[in-house]
Amino acid sequence: MPPDFARAMTVALLPEAMLVGIALVSVLVALLRPGLRPDIHRWIACIGLVGSLGACGLVLLGLRNVRSGVAITVWNGGFVVDSFAMFIAILACVTALCTCLISDSAVRNIPSRSSAFYALMLIATAAVEALAAQREMTTLFVALALLLVCLVALGALVKTDPRGAVSSFEHLIEGSVGIAAVVYGLVLLYGTTRSTNLDAVAMAVGAAPGAVALGVALIVLGLCGTLGVFPLRRWVGRVATNVPAGAAGFIIAMSLIAGGAALARVTVSGLGPNVGVWRWLVPIVAAVALGHASLSSLRETTVSRLIGQLVSAQAAMLLLGLLAFANGSRGLPAYGMTAFLGSLGVTAIATLAAFGVLAMLQVAGIGDAIDDVRGLAHRSAPAALMMTVAVGTLAGVPPLAGFLTRVLLISSAADTHYGWLAILAVGATVLTPIAALRFVATLYDDAGDAVPFTLGATPLVSRIVAGAACLAGVGLVLLIQPLLAVATAGAGTLR
Amino acid sequence: MSVILSTIVWAPLLFALVALFLPERDDDERARVRTVALGGAGVSFFVTTFFAILGQIGLGQGGGLASAYQENHTWFSNFLFQAHYDLAADGITLPLLVVVTTVFGCAMFHSWKIHERVRLYVILVLLLETAVNGVLCASDFVLFVAFWGLLLLPMYLLIRVWGGDGARRAAAWFAGFHVLSLVLIIATVAIIIVEAGARSSDMSANLTTFSITAETVGFWLSFAAFAIAMAIFPVHTWMIEAQAKASPGVATILSGTMLLLGAYGMMRISLVVFPVPAHYYSFAITGLAVVGAFWGGIGALRQDELRRFIGYMNVTQMSLVLLAVGAQTSVALVGAVLLLAGQSIGSAMLTLVSGAVEERTRTTSIRAMGGLVTQAPRLAGFWLVAAASVIGVPLLAGFTGDFMVFAGSFPEHRIATVLVMASVILTTAGLLWVANRVFFGPVRDQFVRVRDVTLLDLTVLFPLVGAAVLFGVRAGAVVPVIANGVLEITTRISGG
Repeated sequence: MPPDFARAMTVALLPEAMLVGIALVSVLVALLRPGLRPDIHRWIACIGLVGSLGACGLVLLGLRNVRSGVAITVWNGGFVVDSFAMFIAILACVTALCTCLISDSAVRNIPSRSSAFYALMLIATAAVEALAAQREMTTLFVALALLLVCLVALGALVKTDPRGAVSSFEHLIEGSVGIAAVVYGLVLLYGTTRSTNLDAVAMAVGAAPGAVALGVALIVLGLCGTLGVFPLRRWVGRVATNVPAGAAGFIIAMSLIAGGAALARVTVSGLGPNVGVWRWLVPIVAAVALGHASLSSLRETTVSRLIGQLVSAQAAMLLLGLLAFANGSRGLPAYGMTAFLGSLGVTAIATLAAFGVLAMLQVAGIGDAIDDVRGLAHRSAPAALMMTVAVGTLAGVPPLAGFLTRVLLISSAADTHYGWLAILAVGATVLTPIAALRFVATLYDDAGDAVPFTLGATPLVSRIVAGAACLAGVGLVLLIQPLLAVATAGAGTLR
Repeated sequence: MSVILSTIVWAPLLFALVALFLPERDDDERARVRTVALGGAGVSFFVTTFFAILGQIGLGQGGGLASAYQENHTWFSNFLFQAHYDLAADGITLPLLVVVTTVFGCAMFHSWKIHERVRLYVILVLLLETAVNGVLCASDFVLFVAFWGLLLLPMYLLIRVWGGDGARRAAAWFAGFHVLSLVLIIATVAIIIVEAGARSSDMSANLTTFSITAETVGFWLSFAAFAIAMAIFPVHTWMIEAQAKASPGVATILSGTMLLLGAYGMMRISLVVFPVPAHYYSFAITGLAVVGAFWGGIGALRQDELRRFIGYMNVTQMSLVLLAVGAQTSVALVGAVLLLAGQSIGSAMLTLVSGAVEERTRTTSIRAMGGLVTQAPRLAGFWLVAAASVIGVPLLAGFTGDFMVFAGSFPEHRIATVLVMASVILTTAGLLWVANRVFFGPVRDQFVRVRDVTLLDLTVLFPLVGAAVLFGVRAGAVVPVIANGVLEITTRISGG
């Protein structure tokens, strides 16, 4: 192995290594000094995440002069550190960092297990980073399984009542079904093509078209479960409702990022246009998922489930970008993947923002039912404002960033001959803003006898981070150009 | 670098942000919040008026100048299409901007009558003003859609939170119809971006490569979207409900600015971007205008609620604008813009006066009122001035618009024009009948203590009277400016 390659490999794997290393340090510190304040573990985790971000920065520095956007490829192309993997890694790190800073309410009830909480968070982030670099199905499966275990354990760890344990168990079951589907698909592909490398699979699809089609369909459906869309999406609502909001936001956002990254890697980057089955399956899944989540959001009676449905609808919308990856009308390049990555970023941040505000309400003793937040604007104007922006962004209420990314996704789909899906997405865009408007209106109704409260029980840093995440819903409308520039760079290696 | 249009659009939002941090625990603090908000609306109004006068000089002289002011910066370019932060004020935009900023200024004065949740109220009104001004100035499709979408939440909350009985239902109707219009516009913009081949969402880009199917679909989508916003027959119910159930200040903004935006969008997008189907289906458009004019007129005569009556009057007025859109002649379109200005001013005045009447009589029923002129002669005077402006009495805002719409439409659609002119008789009769029922006749015992207009009412209503007179007396100065803006539409329709 040439020394330059070893150095490059070290730098390329540094973001993941940093997270796993710091997670181990946190656990060791907890074992050696069990009585330490929970805050210490939080700051250790923050150091790890900042370190990982710094390592990503190093890789990006190295990528500056690489026209292909690929930093390093190993294991016969099975592991690729490229600008796409870096985009996902940075997004995952930022999501985890924000969660670290707003997770006070979730960790407050489990001071003795805070090191485990943060260690699991770091390992989940590392799993997402590793997953984004996979073009080898076996290691992709391992990363997915690791992520699922970490997220389920996180949910179970912070539970405050038995329902939390039940929901984590249900998450585990549903996640396992999804992963099982991926494994069955993988086995079918391997049996047909004698390879688990996606490039090799794409080249050998002619061998047994039926088996390949079934295998690809199983993999896509399994990964849709991780993304949080139909058919395996019930876990989103359960986690949103039963896990404390500080942790629920992380579980859902991280799963969304992982599902999006894995789907992009498998379909666009791996199977590509030669394997046609995913190009008719994904639109069907997107159509059903969009309709189901959007309609479901109209009849939700709790804030957490409403947020869950909106995330699910937005996740389904992401699939439109996935389809628009090749050439658009008039033979010009399509920009679906740019829209996909931009939307993924906005959705992840908006999810954190919404659950961050919900966590503050939980700390203040406000119930989860929509009726419990009636007149919130009277009782705490900042909370109502932040909730308005966060839910509005998730629902695609104009002119917030969620709306703008929907416009980009829909125009991408329309440009790549998925006009019918674009029409359906436009229809779904009617439903989620209406659900959000109905909810927001209750925030500004009369408060009745309810007394005002402040968000003072939540630490200042958590309030600032949650507020900044909400503000991103507005700020990213103005700063969409830099976001799209980064997303275009990330998407460049996939196209 | 010019920031005039940005100032007009964003000044209300900046003042809203200032108001957000002001307390409102007692009357003094609430007055401070209102004053700050008035400052936001005032800045927008004064900048608009001052530069509209300068623009009027520039555009009125002609010489090939398309817009008085323009700001253009790239918004995002790393995508399928380029979008721009492109604001422009041409001959159509400038007079309409003057009207809407006047209406918002009056609505802000009217906020002194709001005593609950003042801060939220003024912030929402300022947010709405930003959206309205943005729609009028946007010269990029994506920017236009973003501002159009921004109308939704503030107006929904304003109707719902400060409205009377049934306001929730009215707000829901508004939201449903507005979201529908929004998605239709999104679909239109998607068609424009994908099918026109310009790879830009700039409204001034060359959009000439449509297929006939795409152009027809795009036209009808945009027409439906803006027809909803204009509240023309048969998609007018949301406006009638909102007009009746919203608080008077909010209803004033609704009838004074929101309907105008629909007509503006129809002229700016449906006619300019899809000129061929617009011309081809002009007969259908005028047919709709005829039905709408009669439907509005007859509907108004059947109403017993004062503000429902005004709602149906708006349907008739918008049908006149639709007639001009169907005729597509230069004279008719100039008349339509003038008519929009007149309708906004007149309708806003009628709504404010009806709010004042309801406040004093504690009833909304026309039949329950009567003889108010004895106790409130000035109030009656304001109603008559507003009615005269709507009817089209010379020297008031509505006259020149009415005249030019009919004169410009007659050569193209003779029967339709005559029929719509006939419907004006219904409008006139309705306004005079209501004036007679509400203000004249024997004084009712329960109204003997009714007060005439207060200083606040005068402050709210005088700017609108001034605008009505100004647009009526100085129509000659405004027409060349509007004609300059209309030139682009007529050039596109004639195949240029």
